[in-house]
Amino acid sequence: MSKKPAKPTPATKTSKKPAAKKKPVAKKKPAAKKATRPTLAERADKHALYQVSVQSPGVDIEFFEEQFAKYRGRKPLRMREDFCGTALLSTEWCKTDPQRTAHGVDLDAATLAWGREHNLEPAGPDVARRVKLAQADVRETRFAKVDLTLAMNFSYCVFHTREQLGEYFAAACKGLVRDGVLALEVYGGTESMSVLEEERPVRGATYIWEQEKFCPIDHRTLCHISWRFKDRSQIKRAFTYDWRLWTLPELHELLLAAGFKAVKFYFERVDGDPDDEFLTGTGDFVEHTEIDNQEAWLAYVIALK
Amino acid sequence: MPRSSAVSKPKPARTLAQQADRHALYERAVQDPEGDVKFFARTYRKIRGHDPISMREDFCGTAALCCEWARSAPERTALGVDLSQDTMNWGLEHHIVPAGRDVASRVTLVCDDVRAVKRPKVDLTCALNFSYYCFKQRAELLEYFASVHAGLNRDGVFLLDMLGGTEAILEGNTDNDHGDFIYRWEQAKFDAFSHDFQCFIHFLFPDGSKIYRAFSYDWRLWMAPELRDLLLEAGFSKVHFYWEKTDAKGEGTGVFYEPDYVENQEIWWTYLAAER
Repeated sequence: MSKKPAKPTPATKTSKKPAAKKKPVAKKKPAAKKATRPTLAERADKHALYQVSVQSPGVDIEFFEEQFAKYRGRKPLRMREDFCGTALLSTEWCKTDPQRTAHGVDLDAATLAWGREHNLEPAGPDVARRVKLAQADVRETRFAKVDLTLAMNFSYCVFHTREQLGEYFAAACKGLVRDGVLALEVYGGTESMSVLEEERPVRGATYIWEQEKFCPIDHRTLCHISWRFKDRSQIKRAFTYDWRLWTLPELHELLLAAGFKAVKFYFERVDGDPDDEFLTGTGDFVEHTEIDNQEAWLAYVIALK
Repeated sequence: MPRSSAVSKPKPARTLAQQADRHALYERAVQDPEGDVKFFARTYRKIRGHDPISMREDFCGTAALCCEWARSAPERTALGVDLSQDTMNWGLEHHIVPAGRDVASRVTLVCDDVRAVKRPKVDLTCALNFSYYCFKQRAELLEYFASVHAGLNRDGVFLLDMLGGTEAILEGNTDNDHGDFIYRWEQAKFDAFSHDFQCFIHFLFPDGSKIYRAFSYDWRLWMAPELRDLLLEAGFSKVHFYWEKTDAKGEGTGVFYEPDYVENQEIWWTYLAAER
């Protein structure tokens, strides 16, 4: 469970003719004066790119804090970040309040090490001391209980069977205090079940989300994240995901079976502004009990213990 | 093929819709009993190495498939189960009685809940036209699959069909022109939260008349992996998914195979087979 996924950008026909907007690469300085000069791709760091491309810890924290307060009438302090990768969310969590602690869990030691060096240490000793990282399976149940467990970026889709996912949800439920909350992210819609490639600009690069395969028989999907740079160099398939695309009713059923008492779904309002090239989400999540399908949507799932 | 022969020529005012018989139209528009029988027999033989004799058709409606099954070989027997006695009566009158004594003697129709019927045990049970989508709760569908399992002979096979594709989860109409009528399939509502799926069949006629909502469905659109999970949980030992081969133009050929991987399409339907 190394680094996480990409948020397929709430979708858009237009984003598919993406490069279009890019100006022809301003180019051709007097021919490569140093042939040995590393390309932008060679100089880039895939973890740093990942963080700017698909993570938005501030938005996540604000939203979950608000929901937690709504359902539980208090402020969540202890948070666990499953599939934490570089633990950016854990770090940000601890920055928001001096009482807060975070526990990041991931299987990939190298990614955790990157996070220690680039996220935890720069945040200063007070923050770093409140973030604990564990190289472990998220189904591990011996950890201290927390108020809130977050599993962002669809990483739980690495579990391909009901049994595995059910086991994870049961472990997550067990790892929560009595009024604890688990939050997940889901994506879906017609485009999630297709082969496609989408691009969007991010700081200093073009982020490419590729759904190489989607099999309607088993809902296995093979996806990749790549980046392309102004000098046309690329980090091709920096991250690869072999997932089962779980549907909302399946998640709902499994969460209840795992011991959660109630499950809420929040769909991100997608702005229908036709001039908005990327039809980006508004960041505004609303609870729904019934939704029309769209080409692509993102949702948060909140499971109450 | 039964035509709309509920003839009454003298009254000029009757529209084509008024003269039509919705069961006859339905059979022409969506059923292919000969094709189903061939596919079932071939698939069963491939899995079990011998011919199936007894077949049960759940949600049988007019029992066109039961009738075709019994007609296809002199030793074959069929059991049809449906909740609507009226629809089965229509089938008796239009299929089973006209098929003659010998065929009729090998077809039994039972008006009951498909979950309640467990005897006689059969070689092959089928549930076509997505009718089992009426079970919207996982526990209900599991109970149905378990009862099918219990009603099969030891080497029995369960055959069902399913609908999928990126457009299966969207709302909209699909028209098929049959010459003397248009069959309209309306996906009125799909809810991503519950996968509730509301559909209608309408028939439209050249004189402008129509049978609006001739058939209505309040379903859950089950996804292929959900069906596989449920069938295995219900006790079936193996689940096969078939896929229709297409020709150079992308048209279906009526030939099905078992793929390892297929790319999703806008809309598709296919068969599943579950081994007891």
